[in-house]
Amino acid sequence: MSGIIGYGVYVPRYRIKQADVAMPWGSFGMGEKAVCGWDEDIVSMAAEAIDNAVKHAGVKPADVGALYLGTASTPLLEQHVSPILAQVLNLSPHAIVLDFCGSVNAVGTALSQCLIAIEAKKIKCGIVVGTENRPVGPGSDAEVNFGAAAVAMVVGTEGTIADIEGVESYSTLFYDRWRNVKDPWVSNYFDLRFDREYGYQKHIEEACKTLMAKLSKKPADFKYAIFQQTDGRLPAGAGKALGIKNVFPDLTPAIGDVGGVSPFLCMSGVLDQAKAGERILLSSYGSGSANAFSVLVNDNIEKKRSGTKTLEKYIGRKAYVDYPAYLRIMGNIKRVPY
Amino acid sequence: MWEREKINQPAPASPLFWRLNAQVYRLIGSKCSDCGHITIPKTMICHMCGSLNQKDYQLPKTGKVHTFCINYTPPPGLEAPIFNVIVDLDGGGRYLGLITEAANPEEVKIGTKVEMVFRKVMTDRGLDIYGYKFRLAEEG
Amino acid sequence: MSMRGKVAIIGVGMIPFGELFHKSFEDMLQEAFLNCVKKVDKGFDPKDIKAAWIGQWSGGFIGQGSREGTTLATVLGLRGIPVSRIENGCPTGNDVLRNAVIGVASGAYDVVLAIGAEKMRDKPGVESLVAAGGGGGGTLGMHPSWMLGMGGPVIQALYATRQMHELGYTMEDYARVAVKNHHNGVACPYAEYRFEVTVERVLNSPLVCWPLHLLDCCPQTDGAACAIVCRADLAKKYTDKPVYVLGSHTAVEVKDMWDKPNYIEMLATVNAAKGALAMAGVKPEDVDLAEVHDCFTNTELMNIEDIGFCKKGEAAKLLKEGYWNRDGAKPINPSGGLKAHGHPIAATGLGQICENFWQLREEIEPKERQVKLKKGIALSHNVGGNGFGVSSINILGREP
Repeated sequence: MSGIIGYGVYVPRYRIKQADVAMPWGSFGMGEKAVCGWDEDIVSMAAEAIDNAVKHAGVKPADVGALYLGTASTPLLEQHVSPILAQVLNLSPHAIVLDFCGSVNAVGTALSQCLIAIEAKKIKCGIVVGTENRPVGPGSDAEVNFGAAAVAMVVGTEGTIADIEGVESYSTLFYDRWRNVKDPWVSNYFDLRFDREYGYQKHIEEACKTLMAKLSKKPADFKYAIFQQTDGRLPAGAGKALGIKNVFPDLTPAIGDVGGVSPFLCMSGVLDQAKAGERILLSSYGSGSANAFSVLVNDNIEKKRSGTKTLEKYIGRKAYVDYPAYLRIMGNIKRVPY
Repeated sequence: MWEREKINQPAPASPLFWRLNAQVYRLIGSKCSDCGHITIPKTMICHMCGSLNQKDYQLPKTGKVHTFCINYTPPPGLEAPIFNVIVDLDGGGRYLGLITEAANPEEVKIGTKVEMVFRKVMTDRGLDIYGYKFRLAEEG
Repeated sequence: MSMRGKVAIIGVGMIPFGELFHKSFEDMLQEAFLNCVKKVDKGFDPKDIKAAWIGQWSGGFIGQGSREGTTLATVLGLRGIPVSRIENGCPTGNDVLRNAVIGVASGAYDVVLAIGAEKMRDKPGVESLVAAGGGGGGTLGMHPSWMLGMGGPVIQALYATRQMHELGYTMEDYARVAVKNHHNGVACPYAEYRFEVTVERVLNSPLVCWPLHLLDCCPQTDGAACAIVCRADLAKKYTDKPVYVLGSHTAVEVKDMWDKPNYIEMLATVNAAKGALAMAGVKPEDVDLAEVHDCFTNTELMNIEDIGFCKKGEAAKLLKEGYWNRDGAKPINPSGGLKAHGHPIAATGLGQICENFWQLREEIEPKERQVKLKKGIALSHNVGGNGFGVSSINILGREP
């Protein structure tokens, strides 16, 4: 069975109070969110997460057969960004190096595709990295909520600390958030109840129910449940619908909505503390597509606790930026040449 | 971030970067088998003693500040103040670069422990060029 | 090799350095040249010039295209003779003279021209020297991973911090260099900034790059300067008071900052000084006055030590005691140096040659600027280029 050999995360040092973003527009915000620094982007964040994951996994670059990057924040429509990270890692030119884009479910999809490549014995082990820093328009709901973070997982069959027992996806045509080629920012339909019930909740519920049925597992078999943290309410709703109580604590008041990165960031938080035999139900969701995973922590976990910075440490180190600085960092206002 | 708009500068897609990126991104330099001098990028001839006995050398990502300055008038695209440093890398060799995420001049001194992080260093024509900067060393 | 007795300078000329917005590169060349030709004591026919070297650093950089020998041949009416361009970083001016001197010493030419000019101010500072290498990658052909944010002040500030750490120098010590040189520059008609400063004023000026303040840095300036170099045995045809070239040397060192063994001396200067002093057969103590490259105040202290005028770490103490003053034991930068004149790269070194020529002939204007001569020997020095890895030094003397 294939599973997680090692994992690593990255959360930028900088935070902005969501109220600082919302107030100038007559809106409100409660928590804070992680934002990139001046010299950071999805690639630099992914690089540090991968560095941490590779250190944890202890794999050699020569053994890595694939690098799958998932993001909804890519700045490039033609040209992948993953080759930059493959060069940093010194992967073989024969490795499969791919970006999965266009949805905040892209990280979940990247992981499921990597698992398929491993099961098919195309590769021995692969790296899946999720990294998000979605462009936000001034005054938008997204500007208040979208955060930045990255997570990386080394996936394979040998030396795993947690095994992935099953994967199930559920996809339909559903528009909730999208970004057209010509749009600098994400648009949304903005009927929150419709999005919540027929988008997020429906897809996650179907994927998880089918997965549990296939694995003959009941909600009570799962020690933790992790659902993509789009906001504070949605994961709790999904847990309620599925009858699972122990839903992973909401990180959005600390780092914001970090898109496809969020479920796997939460998984790192669980794995940092988990004991052998504990089972995790995890589902990502974005743009009418959900990927549910059942993860079983194995005996190696104690022997192989990560020595790199944990999610908790990353969330704990912080420095605040103000709204004008954030506008400039995101490219939403620009200095004239002089 | 330096947003280069001048057409007379090499673009990120140019051979100049294509040639150098592999060494820069992987921190591959040379170490002289005769005098021990370490430099980056790779060289066939030692910059210090002229020896031809050069071996590829993987630069470590950690070190201590050897000297520094605080630039209040950086070129357009960089946010003042920026901390320029020359770092004594652990095990030998030096690296010239910037300290990122330092806000307070008091944080940087000769001997301060630093570690390299991969960061965006230039943006031009829709592409980014990356490189290493230093960050004040953090515990694992 | 000794050069003594072989080569003389028969005339020099320069224009007041400054923000010469109203003068083109070509205007500056012509003016400096005419100032020189007109002042040759017994008259000079430009047709006697058999070869010329033009110093020019910034042309392509400032966006005005590359300046080759053709520019000089065209605007000075020197068609038909060999003209070569020299570019060797900030030492370009002194290196131009060195090439001209070698041309004469070799016996290839009897009379040659060494000229340098620089148009720095057609661009704002933020786009020129301060930003040189700033973006990395492009300008210096280096990767921004290690060249991002680099520029002249940054490189010298990295030295200055280390000087403070190892030699105990202070920002007040650096400020005193500015005080001395601005004081010297007040009376110099060729200087750009002719005002006195105090230590307090330097320390209260804006920080450019800690530990260097605005008044620790030389300005970017337009200017031109030249010298006519001639076989020593023919010099009396043009003047009864030729000045002789005793020694001339250029030295280079590793250019990259991370390759350097230390940051309290510049080996290029050390080696250029050794070479030039040996060629001249003189010691540092034989030199009456020196124009050294004070692009930044800490650089002057380093230069004084590197040339050998005092031991490493003593320059600041001697400065405080007035040792380097114009009326001190060893006047350094009696003209006001780059601090007061500005730094039109290729013209800077030749401007120093002009100053030393006039000082050695005791015809400096106004008279109050005249340095008391003992052995009649003066030294000019530049250091710069990538990582301050190039230095060029010329030693002139009253006697052959």
